[in-house]
Amino acid sequence: MTEIKSNSENIVEVKDLVKIYKDGNVKAIDKISFTVKKGEIFALLGPNGAGKTTTLSVLATLLNATKGATFVNGYNVAKDPDKVRKSIGFVFQEPSVDGEMKGWENLELHAVLYGMPKKERQVKIQEVLKIVDLEDRANTYVKNYSGGMKRRLEIARGLIHEPKVLFLDEPTLGLDPQTRRKIWEKIKELNKGDLNMTILITTHYMDEADELADRICIMDHGKIIVMDTSENLKKQLSGDVIDIQFENVDDQFKFPMIIKQIKEISGVKNISFGTAGSEQEIIPKIQLPPGMPATVTPEIIQARMREILSDPKKLLMAWKKMPMAANMFFSAPLIAKKRIADMFNDKLLEEVPENIKQELIKIKKGEYPEEEVDIEPSLSISCKNGGKQLPLIIQKINENNLIIKSVNMHQPTLEDVFLHYVGSAIREESSNHTKDTKKMIQMRQLRKR
Amino acid sequence: MSELSITQTKINYNAVWALAKRELLGFWRTKSRVISSIAQGILFLFVFAGGFSSLSITIDGVPVDSKAFTASGIAAIVILFTGIFGGMSIFRDKMFGFMKELLVAPVSRRTLMFGRTLGISLQTLIQVLIMIGLSITFGYYGYDINLIWRVMLVLPVALLASMGIVGVGLTISTRLNDMQSFGLIQTFIVMPMFWLSGALFAFNSVPLPMQVIMMCNPFTYSVDLFRLMLLGVSYFPFWLDLIVMVVFGAILILIGARSFNKMEVS
Repeated sequence: MTEIKSNSENIVEVKDLVKIYKDGNVKAIDKISFTVKKGEIFALLGPNGAGKTTTLSVLATLLNATKGATFVNGYNVAKDPDKVRKSIGFVFQEPSVDGEMKGWENLELHAVLYGMPKKERQVKIQEVLKIVDLEDRANTYVKNYSGGMKRRLEIARGLIHEPKVLFLDEPTLGLDPQTRRKIWEKIKELNKGDLNMTILITTHYMDEADELADRICIMDHGKIIVMDTSENLKKQLSGDVIDIQFENVDDQFKFPMIIKQIKEISGVKNISFGTAGSEQEIIPKIQLPPGMPATVTPEIIQARMREILSDPKKLLMAWKKMPMAANMFFSAPLIAKKRIADMFNDKLLEEVPENIKQELIKIKKGEYPEEEVDIEPSLSISCKNGGKQLPLIIQKINENNLIIKSVNMHQPTLEDVFLHYVGSAIREESSNHTKDTKKMIQMRQLRKR
Repeated sequence: MSELSITQTKINYNAVWALAKRELLGFWRTKSRVISSIAQGILFLFVFAGGFSSLSITIDGVPVDSKAFTASGIAAIVILFTGIFGGMSIFRDKMFGFMKELLVAPVSRRTLMFGRTLGISLQTLIQVLIMIGLSITFGYYGYDINLIWRVMLVLPVALLASMGIVGVGLTISTRLNDMQSFGLIQTFIVMPMFWLSGALFAFNSVPLPMQVIMMCNPFTYSVDLFRLMLLGVSYFPFWLDLIVMVVFGAILILIGARSFNKMEVS
């Protein structure tokens, strides 16, 4: 490997980084390069399994790179891990505070590990607690904190040793909207205020990246797909975006033809095809039982469920601990059950409670007839002037005897950009969702090892 | 990936102490652990020491009070349980994500490991003392002023023994990835080491094949040395006990350190 000198303008430099998990032969990062300037908020945006967390882990010296050079704060990550560690603060995707200790003690231990003398510790801890508004809860056991408070404590902890760069891995995952806003405000303060901290954030929330980041790097399948400012990304999709949702359609083979026809309309720039609401099909609309505290909103529960559904181990725990989760499984639509069945290999299946196991085995054997799966196809069309093209598009659709459920025209959002780049890429490579899910789970397990 | 361990291998003693303190504090705060360890001790004392009281035990031609014999064995067993399950606290940290915070800190793995080992060993000492204290209170050792210095002599032995056991705990917990394997470890490691250590019954009262198996269990020698300090009698010569303990302790802790160094969490 040739020696590459780091540039002092850039606080983070990644050059041709490759990470292959040997055990599973999974290429988690496929030759990516990017730089982050001092004082910037840089977002890595991508679906689950895109390689965002792996990238951060390499930068944070938690994983070794297979190939490539990485620099943080001018230090080579592979050669000077100690100095890199002192330069960074890390807020992990999953909670990493010790619930059996009080808030203050968590911070204190961190400060000792980072070699701070006692006097400085006291001052600094007080200071960071103030930044995240947790002064009054410093002497509470962390296990009694709410999710948002834990997150804030983790951010505080990441700040104690005054890092040059702060890594935030999905900082608002599973939090309710108000708490997310609060955390965003804190992140902005850290960046814009006196600290002027460089922040590297990974997220799969479009709004988060849009709200916070100076520059956004969209990743998928371990590759960088596009990297630019949020504004510029949206500019690429200038004009209007028309989303059309269809009623349940039996003959999906019609779509390639329709897409072709619509593409021929002048002014239409790009079309992506999707089956809407694939996630909503799995996660039911939740009706809260009466008497729940006001802080519990359906959004929180859905976010939590999404998290559980992404990891078979968490799902196992849920089934074992909550009878409600098992009931939900049985009442779930077949497509959801199938997706869950795909997540469990034979080894994991052994741990599943007996009644659910039987059901999963039946599904795996294909004992259930292929039901008419409710798919509601949708088209997302970007075009120069929506007002002009919309009637033409609708006309084409009507000619093909398809029933439109809803039409929505709007200015492009980051979400459209994301779909534009990532959505089509996913479909080109593998039409079935399970392959991606499998890879994601595999990567997650490899990382845990 | 062993290169991952930080190039700098210096031990940061402040951090070691902070980590050890965390272990001790955790033990003290989980009152259920304190209570259950005491209750288990009392139960063992009454059931085993009471149940075996009619047996006559002779070691090296010296008759030994069966109550004192069993009580000292039970106190030694505390080292085994606390050490292995204490090492499992790593597993808890892994599950709840705290391990990542430790691994990303600018301290060597050696520091992390040393801190934890120290914490668990101290915790073991406290529990052993509780156990011996209980037995003395109940009169299992008779009331003798000599007991004071005997107990003093037991402490270094307990510390040495617990180091090796913590090594076992560390090895297991760094490699363990799910909760379900806990029962497996209980059945295949803890229980055999417990029953085949000669803590509860006299070594020379069992058939020869079993004696051979017991001699293969390194913990047997720890129990033996422990008893030598407390009661003044042992099956094996002092030097043999000590050598086995030191050698096995060193090997086990090295294996533990190796698995700890190799651990990747993210």
